[in-house]
Amino acid sequence: MGADDLFGLASAAVLPGWAILVLAPRGRWVWLDRVASLILPLGLSALYAALILTHFSGAEGGGFGSIAQVRALFADDWGLLAGWVHYLAFDLMIGAAMAHRMDRVGVSRLIQAPILVLIFLFGPLGALLALLTEGGLRAADRRGVTA
Amino acid sequence: MNAIAKTPLRGLWALTALSLALVALCLIWAAFDTRTFQGIAVWIKPLKFNISFVVLFSTLAFVVARLSPPYGQGRTLTIVVHIMAASMLFEALYITAQAAQGQGSHYNDGTPFHQAMYGLMGIGAVSLVIGVAVIGGLVWRDKAAAFTPLMREAIVVGFGLSFILTMITAGTMSSLPGHFIGDPGPNGAVLPLLGWSASVGDLRAAHFVALHAMQGLPILALGVRGARQSHLWLRLAACLWAALTLGLYVQALAGQPFLRF
Repeated sequence: MGADDLFGLASAAVLPGWAILVLAPRGRWVWLDRVASLILPLGLSALYAALILTHFSGAEGGGFGSIAQVRALFADDWGLLAGWVHYLAFDLMIGAAMAHRMDRVGVSRLIQAPILVLIFLFGPLGALLALLTEGGLRAADRRGVTA
Repeated sequence: MNAIAKTPLRGLWALTALSLALVALCLIWAAFDTRTFQGIAVWIKPLKFNISFVVLFSTLAFVVARLSPPYGQGRTLTIVVHIMAASMLFEALYITAQAAQGQGSHYNDGTPFHQAMYGLMGIGAVSLVIGVAVIGGLVWRDKAAAFTPLMREAIVVGFGLSFILTMITAGTMSSLPGHFIGDPGPNGAVLPLLGWSASVGDLRAAHFVALHAMQGLPILALGVRGARQSHLWLRLAACLWAALTLGLYVQALAGQPFLRF
């Protein structure tokens, strides 16, 4: 299986996870909750681990110390694929964690939905909004204005 | 698992918190982005809208918190808050996404997609002001709400005025090709912070004053609450507020700036 095939497979694999996070009921079926928070991130993490162990040493001049070194890592399709799988795995994991945090403070699913879509598309930008929204609601709770 | 009741009040505070988060996002963005759209930094418009959403939803939360349970947790309010939430989320995200691409959102009819989105923004904006009117109506009907008679009147009249005056001013803006009456040119003077034209007519001044009757009249009510004839003062203030809005509206339509310099 080539890098292109694995890219398509991994990218498609996260979609049900995101669909569940955004649309599916939570807390009703434990197995469904775990698809996005555990099962898919585990699978993608395993794929990443295999890719990085196999291909990390193959990138000439690659490393984490400068833009040039990181570019060298990503110059190889397998390195680029590993990086992409890293995004997919961590964005979904963070999405599930943020959904859980927002559930705990009672952010409605309607408001969660676009924030989760932003985590899917732009990872940290969405996580920033999720954390600040959660923090703002907690601050309102402490002031006793929400009930 | 999740024991927190998702009441309309909680929804309004969550929307306030998200709007505040978006304000923070725009300020972080402002530190890095030097691009402009029609001479204005691209992040200004999303920043202004998100500040406006913070003000809107916190105002509604303060009011809704004082409704009695049949109204504060009733079906009407639940539906209204959901519609307002969907409208705000759509407006805020589209305005931000367009600004990030250095493109217009309102008045952008460059492609069928942008034309359709501009149409949807109109529906969203109208939904938001109708929501304000409906919540004003709930305050009127909820005789058990925790308001003094003066504050109840200020909220009902303020929310009602915001609705009517915004429909007039914003409705006119949407029927025109832009919010300027006249051509300010590429480097026309603008008012600091507000950004309204200081050289030609700009309907945004009247739109701003119209929108904020819903905060202005309750605040004025706090100011006159000890006075004799406080209801009379409040009604006078409401008339002046409407007159001021319509004055700014006529001034802009005549092509005159709010302040010229």
